[in-house]
Formats: sequence, C-alpha cells, structure tokens
Amino acid sequence: MLGLTEIYNEQELITALKARDDQAFSYLYDHYSGSLYSIILQIVKTPETASDILQEVFINIWRKIESYDPQRGRLFTWMLNISRNAAIDMVRSKTYQNNQKNQEITDTVYGSDQVTQTSVDSIGLTRYLGKLRPELRVLIELAYFKGYTQEEIAQIEDIPLGTVKTRIRNALLQLRELLK
Amino acid sequence: MNIQEYIESGIVESYLLGLASPEDSAEFERMCAAHSELRASRNTFELKLEEKLLEAKLEPPRELKSRIFSAIGMEKEQRPFQIQSLRRPALIPRFGFAKYVAAASIVLLAGSVLLNFYLLSQYKKSIAQYKELVDGQTQLASSNRILQAKLETYESDMSLMKNPLMAIIKMPGISSSPSPSSMTTVYWNTKTKDVYLLVNQLPKTIPGKQYQLWAIVDGKPVDAGIFDLPEGVSFLKLKMIQKAEAFAVTLEKTGGSETPTMNAMYVMGKVIS
Repeated sequence: MLGLTEIYNEQELITALKARDDQAFSYLYDHYSGSLYSIILQIVKTPETASDILQEVFINIWRKIESYDPQRGRLFTWMLNISRNAAIDMVRSKTYQNNQKNQEITDTVYGSDQVTQTSVDSIGLTRYLGKLRPELRVLIELAYFKGYTQEEIAQIEDIPLGTVKTRIRNALLQLRELLK
Repeated sequence: MNIQEYIESGIVESYLLGLASPEDSAEFERMCAAHSELRASRNTFELKLEEKLLEAKLEPPRELKSRIFSAIGMEKEQRPFQIQSLRRPALIPRFGFAKYVAAASIVLLAGSVLLNFYLLSQYKKSIAQYKELVDGQTQLASSNRILQAKLETYESDMSLMKNPLMAIIKMPGISSSPSPSSMTTVYWNTKTKDVYLLVNQLPKTIPGKQYQLWAIVDGKPVDAGIFDLPEGVSFLKLKMIQKAEAFAVTLEKTGGSETPTMNAMYVMGKVIS
C-alpha cells in the first residue's frame, strides 16, 4: 500500500471511509495510529495491551464509521474518545487488574522496566499536563487517564466536590492556554 | 449565563476530551447549534489538540496494521458492504437470520424477566407469611409462659389450702368500718407458724395508704405485715406469728404503723383453738 498514499481532506476521508474504501482506511491508520497508540499507552502502560486495544479501536472505527457525526466534532476527536474509552474499559476490567497485580509481583522480584514509562511521560497530553500545578495535574490524570467521575475523585482525594469541579475547570482552561 | 461565561466554564475542553457528563454534553451540543461563537471556540481547541497530539506519535508494532486489515477483511466476507448504495437503510439487509435469533432472544429474555418478577413476588410473599407465623409462634409461647406461671401459683395456693396443719381464720367485715362487706381469711400453719392472707374482699387503697395485718397476742396488737391488694386471687405470705388470739386488718399510712388505727379497722377474726 506504500506509494499509493493519497492526501485526503477531512470531508473526503469521511466519505471514503463511509464507503468502506480500503485505501482511505489505510491512510487513516498511517495518519492517526501513532497518536492514538500513544494515548492508549499512557492509560494502559504495557505495549502488548495497548496494541490489542489499538486493533480493537480500528476495527470499531471501521464498523461504526456510519455513526460518526461531523456536527459533534472532528474525526480525530471522535477516534481519540473511542481510544480513551476502550483503554479505560480495559484498565477497569477484572482480567487487567489481575494481570497488573501479577506484573507488580514480577516487577518487585526482577525490577521493573521504566523505559516505556519515561518515553510516554514525555509526549502528548502528559507533556502538557506536566506543566500544570501538581494539585491540578493529579485531578486531570484521575479524570482523563483513569476515567473517574468528579464525584469519585472527590472521594479518592478526600476533597469537596466543589473544589474538584473548580480545579478541573482551571486545569482545562490552563491546558487550553498551553496548547495554543 | 452569556456565551463567553459558558466558554470560560471549561465546557469546550471537557466535552471534547470526553470528561463532560451526558447531560452537559447534550446541552453543549444544543448550545453549539445555536451559537457560532461557541462552535468557533470548539474548532480552535479541537484543531490545536489534534495538531499537538499528532506530533506526539509512538509507533505501534509493525505487524499491527496487517493484523487489523486481515480482521477487517474477514468481517467483509462475512457481511459484505455495498459500497455504491450507501443511502439504503443501512442496517436491515446486514442481518438475515440473525434478526430472528435476536427477536427470539429478546422474547426469551422478556419471558425470563417476567418469570423472575413473578418468582421474586412469590418469594417476598412467602417471607411475609413466614414472619407472620414466627410472630404468632412467639406470642403463643409468651402467653403460654404466663399461663404456666399462673398455674404454678394456683397449684402452690391449692397445696396451702389442702395442708391439714393449716388453721383457717375467717375475718368478716366490721360493721362500723368504711366497708362492712369486706372479708379476708388467714391461713396459719400451726406447725411452721407461717401466716398467709387471702383477700376475699377489701376496697382499693388510696395513694399513701397500705393495709396492715395485726395479730392480737395477749390482748395487744402485734404487727403481722403490710400488704397491697394482690392482683387476681392469691395468697400473701406475711410475717410469722407464734401465738395469737385474733387477727385484724387496718388501713395505715404507707409503710405501716406501730399501733393500729382503730377507726380504720376493716376486718377481724378470732382464732378458734
């Protein structure tokens, strides 16, 4: 498929995807898989699991492209949310949590491999989140990368719900400034 | 809230990052449809987010793309899409037999839900009935205990009356007393000298007053014990009396008196030896 790469604008790409065009789908993968993979990896931490989730995400994009509505946001935003949700669902599943426990035991015995961790921390949203004040950063990490609701965060951090709401709002507005 | 305040609430970012609640998201979509300023703000953040995140790539494993394409290829064979006719009602032809299976399973599920509700209500009914039974049983047991206790009292009273050593002294009402129809009976064990009193009839006491039994010994009254009217019929065990010519009951202040109040004497009976 190399060499056949076309450049699509967003509208053309969507139309071609809805027509189940292989070439458009290939372009979609080449263009977006790297950043979606990095978001997933920031949530699930292990490359094997992240690959499995990325596969599931692209198959779902292919299946559900009909339901994508441009009125609600850009294609990338839609795919980003599908990826984040799939990764968080995985983190919250029983099997994943059991594996994590086993992993922690292995790490304790053999020493953990920090390489993936550091490379993930220096890219993407995490890089911008790193510039937030710590108390804001913690809340965004719980909300965005762990998928907790504001009520759950208030319980976890043992701070009033109103404070959680204010801090998350401040964090999001700072994030907007940082992305400019 | 004006639109600028709404934008500054962070809703744009939380909506796009998937952090907003379903209600807030629905409201945001409605607001977007109505306000071009809000749409512009959404587009700005979206484009920036996309730009920055596309810079932040990590290469997924090389073989992943072919894995995904072969998975999709298999799906295509199973349920081919008609590329040219996208505007057809998309979902209907894709499920042939499956929709009957789906329909059947929904019917089965509904049936099972109904059955569960029925069983649950039956279960709740049984629990209620069981509780009623247990309550009834507890009540029966406690009234049974009460009856048992009463019966024991009567039995011991009966054995007092049956005892051949008992001297029985009838004490009729005194005509000058406030209640001439009063009557009590002393059962005096001639061997152990125990004194039991049976109240046949005495008026109710007023607060601050108690009845007192006196034994008349050598012409002088000796305190034989104070008592309140017993509930029901039962013998009152009072003080032991070694020797007496007669017994009398007066109404005294609570706790009894040293000497009887003669004008408050209700009953008296002589010991027949």
